[in-house]
Amino acid sequence: MNDDIILDIQNVTKKFPGVTALSNVSMKVQRGEIHGLCGENGAGKSTLMKILSGVYPYGTYEGEVFYNGEELRLEHSSIRHANELGISIVHQELTLVPSMTVGENVYLGKEPVEKKSINWNKLYSDTDKILARYNLDVKSQAVVRTLGVGKMQMVEIAKALSEDAQVLILDEPTSALNEVEIKKLMEILATLKANGVTIIYITHKLNEFFGITDSVTVLRDGETVTTQPTRNLSEERLVQYMVGRQMKERFPKGNRQPGEVIFEVEDLCAEDPSDPSRMVVNGVSFTLRQGEILGIAGLMGSGRTELVTTIFGEYGKVTSGRLILEGRDLKINSARDAIEHGISLVPEDRKGQGLVLMQSILKNISLPNLNQFAGVFSLDKDAELEASLYQAKSLAIKAPNLQVSCNTLSGGNQQKVVIAKWLMSRPKILIMDDPTRGVDVGAKYEIYKLMNELAERGVSIIMISSELEEVLGMSDRVMVMHDGRSNGTLDVATATQEKIMALATGINSHNHTSN
Amino acid sequence: MKLAVPETKSPDKTSSVLGKMFRQNIQTYAIILALIFIWIFFAFLTDGNYLKAQNFSNLFRQMTVTAFLAIGMVLVIVTGNIDLSVGKLAGFVSVVVAYFQATIWTRVLPDQALAAATLSVFIGVAVGALFGVLQGYIISFLNVPSFIVTLGGMFVLNGAILLVTQGKTIPANQPYFSVIAQGYLPVAAGWILASLVVVYLYFNMFRSRQKKRAHGFVLSNIYLDLALTTFFAILVVGYVYIVNQYNGVQIPVLLLAITSVIISYMANNTRFGRYAYAIGGNRDAARLSGINIRNNIFYVFVLMGLLSGIAGVVLASYVGYGTIAAGQGYELDAIAAAILGGTSTLGGVGTIWGALIGALIMSSLSNGLQLLNVAPSWQYLLKGLVLVLAVYADVTFKKRG
Ligand SMILES: Nc1ncnc2c1ncn2[C@@H]1O[C@H](COP(=O)(O)OP(=O)(O)OP(=O)(O)O)[C@@H](O)[C@H]1O
Ligand SMILES: [Mg+2]
Repeated sequence: MNDDIILDIQNVTKKFPGVTALSNVSMKVQRGEIHGLCGENGAGKSTLMKILSGVYPYGTYEGEVFYNGEELRLEHSSIRHANELGISIVHQELTLVPSMTVGENVYLGKEPVEKKSINWNKLYSDTDKILARYNLDVKSQAVVRTLGVGKMQMVEIAKALSEDAQVLILDEPTSALNEVEIKKLMEILATLKANGVTIIYITHKLNEFFGITDSVTVLRDGETVTTQPTRNLSEERLVQYMVGRQMKERFPKGNRQPGEVIFEVEDLCAEDPSDPSRMVVNGVSFTLRQGEILGIAGLMGSGRTELVTTIFGEYGKVTSGRLILEGRDLKINSARDAIEHGISLVPEDRKGQGLVLMQSILKNISLPNLNQFAGVFSLDKDAELEASLYQAKSLAIKAPNLQVSCNTLSGGNQQKVVIAKWLMSRPKILIMDDPTRGVDVGAKYEIYKLMNELAERGVSIIMISSELEEVLGMSDRVMVMHDGRSNGTLDVATATQEKIMALATGINSHNHTSN
Repeated sequence: MKLAVPETKSPDKTSSVLGKMFRQNIQTYAIILALIFIWIFFAFLTDGNYLKAQNFSNLFRQMTVTAFLAIGMVLVIVTGNIDLSVGKLAGFVSVVVAYFQATIWTRVLPDQALAAATLSVFIGVAVGALFGVLQGYIISFLNVPSFIVTLGGMFVLNGAILLVTQGKTIPANQPYFSVIAQGYLPVAAGWILASLVVVYLYFNMFRSRQKKRAHGFVLSNIYLDLALTTFFAILVVGYVYIVNQYNGVQIPVLLLAITSVIISYMANNTRFGRYAYAIGGNRDAARLSGINIRNNIFYVFVLMGLLSGIAGVVLASYVGYGTIAAGQGYELDAIAAAILGGTSTLGGVGTIWGALIGALIMSSLSNGLQLLNVAPSWQYLLKGLVLVLAVYADVTFKKRG
């Protein structure tokens, strides 16, 4: 191995009020390699990357970072400075301006200027070039808001690539991508690597490390555990380094005995609120038994999220269909109605829809559940705290206490807060839209265990997931969606990844139906 | 896993806990420091007259009208809305109340001064609340932005004031009615009240500790709790001591204190209040949590109307008549007070107590400048500067903290 170190992080310590996010972290990155970074939620991965990319400028942390042999001192307008030095980052959370076009976003802050005014033609043609070079199926003039999460993520990446980066940092880029998109991303990364770009890659999907990285550094509780060449590692070893103990299985064995059908959806149709001529949910029917976990698979844009938000009463207009819970027809016009009937939804977008970021963990967890603690004119705050603590503990939310505001939490911990909030509502039917997005293996296991427990207690769960392994590992049945329709429901005993993919991409329509 | 009960404080770390509390509440402390600075500044320039019992008493009396509006404004801004009509609404209520006293009660209820005064109050508050219902309905159920609705409301009320007054000044100075803003509690009553409040403060402290223990939480340091409670007790006793040297506890300040306790309790300890903060913090998350956003915002505006009604009654009683200029510009004072008190213009953040201190700062400035015979032009100029400076200081503090 050559010894050309492009980034040398030495004894970096970063403290926040009440939390030491990084303590004495050291890590070396070789020029031209793809360097994986892994660790549990809150281990400090994002924080370390924010130091490299100037979000936390020089002087706000202790220790040294050497870049190309020189000390990295990102001071005034540090983020731009990092960019100019060739360090680009794709953040864990989307940072696009939804109301602007793809091109405007890609060149935000570095618009091509001619005689003091923006040269729009150049901006869009350059954006097109980047999009074409990486084979991204997005139009430069499209408004970002109209894109799905997966495409937005691709735009983020294009934005990072619009600068000639020497070091490209990707913080969980695949958490919102489907298998097809992930594959494409991997191809892009291979091309970049061939062009000599150094890449730091963060993910909770451990198998991704083995496909592309050359070496992996593991962080635990803000400390470096080890850096190893990937070929010396295995998934089990990696997990062991991450959580400090062995984990035998990824999916806990449940002892579920699904009972009678409790919930039925019949021929549900809903139109796109921004384009009433388009049906986003197009005649979907399914049944859900008590204590069953029904997985919903499908590509981004297949209408999965739209289906569940329609059931929850918060999507566009329902044009036809029936919802039947315990033999009775439901009329659900809002989240409030749904919650009253015992239906809860863990939404897809935790920042935008799941959390009031500026508020404390406590207030977020109890928000939909205040009725449990409310008298006519009062709230029993002690009971509220006790119940929230219980949820926070059973999900192992990592925070100094429940009063810290959610915007200081790591991404995975934010997700846990959203789940905690809905677990507290004691639903009959719990809908989870991508519940383990950005959650580490250990915590995923905890969430799976909780799902099993809930199901065993008779709660019915609908789980949307983009990870086929998860769908197969956790569900009793899998409904596969394509183009707003259910393309078939598979029994998990006979389902395979290939069968699901075939249904999801629309090949083989309406075969395989077992229900 | 590292989870501790928020109140966890080990006895040996009292000082660091205090330090942490200070940092967390730096905004509140900054504004209290600003207030103290203003007081010392004016006391110095007026040879101490500024802080003598009489002026001190007036200072608090002067802030009441703005303060009633400001505590409502906190909730309005917290939900991500604004109400530009409150000044004119208070003004309109004050002329309506004056009109009833000057022209109607004299005919309908001659020689029944107490009934007339009571009815006046009732009508004033009802008019305010009704206008709040109207504006709240248009904002939350017809989806017209609050900025527009209340801007319109401001014009409408301005016209209504002219209609009622016909351009003239209407007296509102029946003795019973004047008590509302100009009356004082007898000295002894003031002391009894103060003792009751102090007893309640300690009682409440012990009760809340007991409840926490029942839930199995780690209790905070008893000395720290005692010190805090004692601090508030001293504030109450000290205040009553000073105002008793003049005429006694001012009725309007008492009314304001009671109202503030109620509203603050609503903001923190009821679903209504908690939902308001959640809506302002993230509307989508609030909606998906099953909160009825329309109803909540509607009630916030009804409450704002009600408080404007109270403010209008106090205003009429305070000045003793209703005029065409009544309430002119008060909405801006109220907004300024709320923002000085830490309410975020982006929504989701703000406290009632902060707004009270904000209102006190505004009235302390006006009062001091008037004592010094500074021209109104300069008064406005200085108030504007203080507002921007205070928020600037707040922003910088927060960045560092
Ligand atoms: N601005 C902040 N203020 C206070 N604490 C913070 C802040 N940002 C991060 N932290 C804390 O620092 C720790 C590390 O957070 P970080 O976001 O780096 O974790 P992560 O490894 O990226 O986790 P995830 O996999 O969940 O994204 C966490 O405990 C988090 O709560
Ligand atoms: Mg992270």
